[in-house]
Amino acid sequence: MHHSANTMTVFGWDPIWFAGVLFILTYLIILSDRINRAIVALMSASLMIVGGVLTQEAALRGVDFNTLGLLTGMMVIVAITRRTGVFQFLAVWSAKKVNADPWGILVTLVLVTAILSAILDNVTTVLLIAPVTLLIADALRITPYPFLFAEIFASNVGGAATLIGDPPNIMIGSAVDLSFNDFLFNLGPPALIILLVILIPFYLIWGRKLNANPEDRQRVLNYNEREAITDPRLLWQSFFVLTLVLIGFIAGHNHGLMPASVAMSGAALLLLLDNLPRKADDQSRSVHATFAEVEWVTIFFFLGLFIIVHGVESTGLLTMFADHILQWTGGDTLITAMAILWGSAIASALVDNIPFVAASIPLIKSMAATFGGPEGLMPLWWSLALGSCLGGNGSLIGASANVIVAGFAERSGHPISFLGFMLGAFPLMLLSILISSIYIYLRYLS
Amino acid sequence: MTASMVMDPHPSVLHMDEKVHKGVELVMDHRYRNIPVVDDNGRYQGVFGVNCLLRMVLPKAVLVERGLTTVPFVADTLHDLYVRLKAVEDEPITYCMSYDASVVAPDTPLVETLLILYRTRTSVPVVDPESGLLVGMISYWDVYGKILEQQI
Repeated sequence: MHHSANTMTVFGWDPIWFAGVLFILTYLIILSDRINRAIVALMSASLMIVGGVLTQEAALRGVDFNTLGLLTGMMVIVAITRRTGVFQFLAVWSAKKVNADPWGILVTLVLVTAILSAILDNVTTVLLIAPVTLLIADALRITPYPFLFAEIFASNVGGAATLIGDPPNIMIGSAVDLSFNDFLFNLGPPALIILLVILIPFYLIWGRKLNANPEDRQRVLNYNEREAITDPRLLWQSFFVLTLVLIGFIAGHNHGLMPASVAMSGAALLLLLDNLPRKADDQSRSVHATFAEVEWVTIFFFLGLFIIVHGVESTGLLTMFADHILQWTGGDTLITAMAILWGSAIASALVDNIPFVAASIPLIKSMAATFGGPEGLMPLWWSLALGSCLGGNGSLIGASANVIVAGFAERSGHPISFLGFMLGAFPLMLLSILISSIYIYLRYLS
Repeated sequence: MTASMVMDPHPSVLHMDEKVHKGVELVMDHRYRNIPVVDDNGRYQGVFGVNCLLRMVLPKAVLVERGLTTVPFVADTLHDLYVRLKAVEDEPITYCMSYDASVVAPDTPLVETLLILYRTRTSVPVVDPESGLLVGMISYWDVYGKILEQQI
């Protein structure tokens, strides 16, 4: 327990009560979606300091700058890379590789989405793949729904496979000092299994019915994917930097290189390569435009959230809550892991998984003594990562990627209903969690 | 000087129940940029114009907000575009009309009217703010014709 809190908060309130009530209120307001989540998080973080729960120094100690640096660095890299048209190239190229057969397109788009979501981030991936999907479905004169549904799943499953694929993994990796390889070797296998298994229900539900006439397929085959590449020079530069960054993630951990340093170094290098040929004025405009594409709402949301959770943690409230959970699970690793896996999956399907994971991390950390030290917590961390990432598939609001795809679908005249999606997605999400449970049990607990 | 002094008080109009092909014919025959659409009582509802014409023949996916910014890889032919137009030509005019076009009131000052014309780059409907009735239409040519008349 880090008792960095002052003994009394403003008005003489007990810090535990003050921080606890503020924490619950914050999460309720975030849940209500009435006020922008970054504003809520920053307001509550300010109240943690102004109210006397944390000093400014203590609040800053709670901020995980590795997570913020990793997120920001990758956002800059993606913002530059997306301008090359490589995402559109990959989508069209993969559609043509399967001769514009609708089921083949669904499978290849699932793979492309999953891979890109694993090595970049799933929000950017769907932001760039979904519009091409709509275009292809329009050309084939078939409904885009199965493709969009499958892409949502693929983005969340792919994102679960790596350290950088999904924000919960970034947070867990940073808090527990897990490397890119740790995530790849521990979560890559279940993600791949789930991706392949999930194609079976996709085929049974839609695969057999997806048909397009030869004339419409020819329209897609006439697409010239090479034309999608708008800046070949920048494409090679981006490819070069992304390769370096991936090498940095894979090899850097053993040399003390943190993921944020790798991502920020990559971002700086790509900014340099992109701007070197430009004049000074153009450079300012270009750098400004790139920075404008960083999702500052997400970054400030994280910043506030880290302070709020640190505030609550510093009062000892989360340790008390963890003790209750351990009493309930009897300190049994299997029961605790399953409770975390299924609990985080259900919670992530219904609410934003980022605040959930932010609160869960100190909770699980405080269980270390019960499970024989940090090593004994590993099954719990993998359970939290799988549950929070895959749980996002359970509903249309379960993950940011889902919301983005739903927005595209609606704006293109093919709305995805909340209930309709959930009826199909929730059971499939449960299937993915069942596979994860078997994996966790067989690999870590049997 | 106000908008009412430079407007065409008898513009061509489309009615809500008319079909898309009627709008296409009017735009193409008279090279209109925008045609005001009115209800049975002459109340202004929106505009149908060259943007609608383009929107109808482009793939829907390229028009989605925050979607694709460029589509150089799409190789659709003129025939593909024609097929798209034929598919919607019997839809009501409301299928493609814009409801949020800029309008001016009859008493909008002249320079303000010109600024709106300059910024919207198309003809601007003149609408009575109280009754909602369409009272005219202002095009570049109407305004410039009036300006040039001042030389005499």
